[in-house]
Amino acid sequence: MQKHTITAIICLAGAIVASAIAGSSFLAMRKPDKIVRGPGVTEIKMLSEWFPDLKGSPGDTEVYIMEGADNGVSMLVLGGTHPNEPASHLAAILLIENFLPRTGTLYVIPRANASGFTANDPQEGAPQHFTIETPNGLRVFSYGSRATNPIHQWPDPNIYIHASSGQTLSGSETRNLNRGYPGRADGTLTEKVCYGIVQLIKEQKVTITVDLHEASPEYPVINAIVAHPKAMQLASDTVLGLEMQDIKISLEPSPVNLRGLTHRELGDFTDTLPLLMETANASQGRLRGRTDEALVLTGKDKWYVRAAKLGRLYVPYDENGHPIEERVGRHVTAIAEIINSWNWEHPETPLEFDNIPSYEDLLSKGLGEYLLPVQ
Amino acid sequence: MFYIYLGILAIVLALTVWELFDTKKLSMQITAAMVIMPLLLRLLMIK
Repeated sequence: MQKHTITAIICLAGAIVASAIAGSSFLAMRKPDKIVRGPGVTEIKMLSEWFPDLKGSPGDTEVYIMEGADNGVSMLVLGGTHPNEPASHLAAILLIENFLPRTGTLYVIPRANASGFTANDPQEGAPQHFTIETPNGLRVFSYGSRATNPIHQWPDPNIYIHASSGQTLSGSETRNLNRGYPGRADGTLTEKVCYGIVQLIKEQKVTITVDLHEASPEYPVINAIVAHPKAMQLASDTVLGLEMQDIKISLEPSPVNLRGLTHRELGDFTDTLPLLMETANASQGRLRGRTDEALVLTGKDKWYVRAAKLGRLYVPYDENGHPIEERVGRHVTAIAEIINSWNWEHPETPLEFDNIPSYEDLLSKGLGEYLLPVQ
Repeated sequence: MFYIYLGILAIVLALTVWELFDTKKLSMQITAAMVIMPLLLRLLMIK
């Protein structure tokens, strides 16, 4: 056997072994995080119950239902629209494991883009998982991709054309769940998930929909609520309520010409009042340094501190960072305040829930205190 | 479209493996081995 054939066999064997090691790590991400059914959860359904085409697909995802006395009022919380925004996913899980409904119904989808949780974004160096300490041990959560896994929807077109408006965006946006609404029954996997969520909202007559997000500290829409015009009153009351608790938050109107997003399309195509909320997540920003679990959990990053000193950020940033407790606390507290604002305006048809962890409790006791033990 | 892209991928992977065995330069063989990995993972629909 010639020498170069021997080295070729060795190189090929090395490539196969390295592929097997990397492949097993990638395949491990397809196992969904464990979410504990909280005492307030009355039913768990799959999104495919509202759109059967999703059944068995990687886009099908759990819908946790927490039903109190029926008064016709309900709220839908979307977590994990972008799986690289962990406070969104965790806030939804916190609701599932803690909320106790009294009046009205809460629907929570913790992994709105379930496919996005099965992969990382390439070339970002992000961790695949992060761990939170609880009194009952460690809980592990996925840190996924902003978009649908390309294994589940591939190839991307050169240009993504939003179906109902004709808006053109970069081709990779075709896998962005928050650019696909109101979705299409015969569209891509991402559009089908959007369509399924819209069907849920229509069939259940969901009153309020809250889509939880995080944003890079250098992105202008941050620590903010974005509201469709018809949800502006509710959002304004919510901002006032949060400011009275010393939680600084801005209110942004949903742009008319930015299409495919929940705060625009859910308001235009359904009767729900859509709101979208953003917190500050350094681990998805462009200016960040080392990207690891610590950055995801603490938000501490010296480059963002420097950028803040140069006046380049849209959110205060110092050596204390923006820890996950603060970001999840903002989301959960804002949801509680949305409910308060609704009840203020509609005392005859209130939404009433108990056992919502407060912002101060989350900051002082930590997130782990409110996560239930996995059996 | 999906199957056309998969077909293109399979052809490129086969050509890369062929190059791995054809070339006599070790640096080219190592480069080919590195190129094989992402192609193989996508062909197997893992990544």
